[in-house]
Amino acid sequence: MSAPGGKRLLVVVRHSPYSSSLARASLDVALAAAAFDQPVSLLFVGDGVLQLQSGQDCDALGVKNLGRLLASLPLYDIEQVFVDAEAAQHYRLDLAAAPLPTRALDRDAMAELIRTHDHLLGF
Amino acid sequence: MTLHTLNASPASAAFADCLRLLAAGDALLLLGDGVYAALEGTEPRRALDASGALLYLLQPDAAAAGVLGRIGSAAVVDMDGFVELSERFVRQLAWY
Repeated sequence: MSAPGGKRLLVVVRHSPYSSSLARASLDVALAAAAFDQPVSLLFVGDGVLQLQSGQDCDALGVKNLGRLLASLPLYDIEQVFVDAEAAQHYRLDLAAAPLPTRALDRDAMAELIRTHDHLLGF
Repeated sequence: MTLHTLNASPASAAFADCLRLLAAGDALLLLGDGVYAALEGTEPRRALDASGALLYLLQPDAAAAGVLGRIGSAAVVDMDGFVELSERFVRQLAWY
């Protein structure tokens, strides 16, 4: 569980899952923070929402399946997961089928989310 | 209020994403290819001015790009100025 009163970390993810190692790195950071009982939230912005596409299959590509990793986040008490509603709509993403439960936010709500966290890490 | 740093050209998705999350009263420091977003008379510059965010360019990068004469009223800071900005704003977010 997250320690009450800890500094709140927001990880802002804006890269697609397999274009670089950034997507994987962002999830590693979130997991590391959670392992140290730091309150951590995730915000998927722009192309970052593509990580939430269901049915990712990396067998042929030979890399770790980030969709499966995302699905495991609630087990590590990472449950504050937010999505850029406009980008999700842009890609016609079915958030109900995403690997984990998310909350869609408009632009103002995303700006507010940034304001209510103590530390920001962009990937 | 948040200090944003942008190290990518105005044609990038990083610029577009950053622009959408800039709030009035935030500061944006342009680094690297980000300095081209400050070019006067361009659409990216108009969008930045309309955001209500305070605009800064990192001097060495703007000088290298040759754009110091084309950025109008945008403020230019050196490395010490960068450090001061990071002290003035409680949180910082990097776009790249």
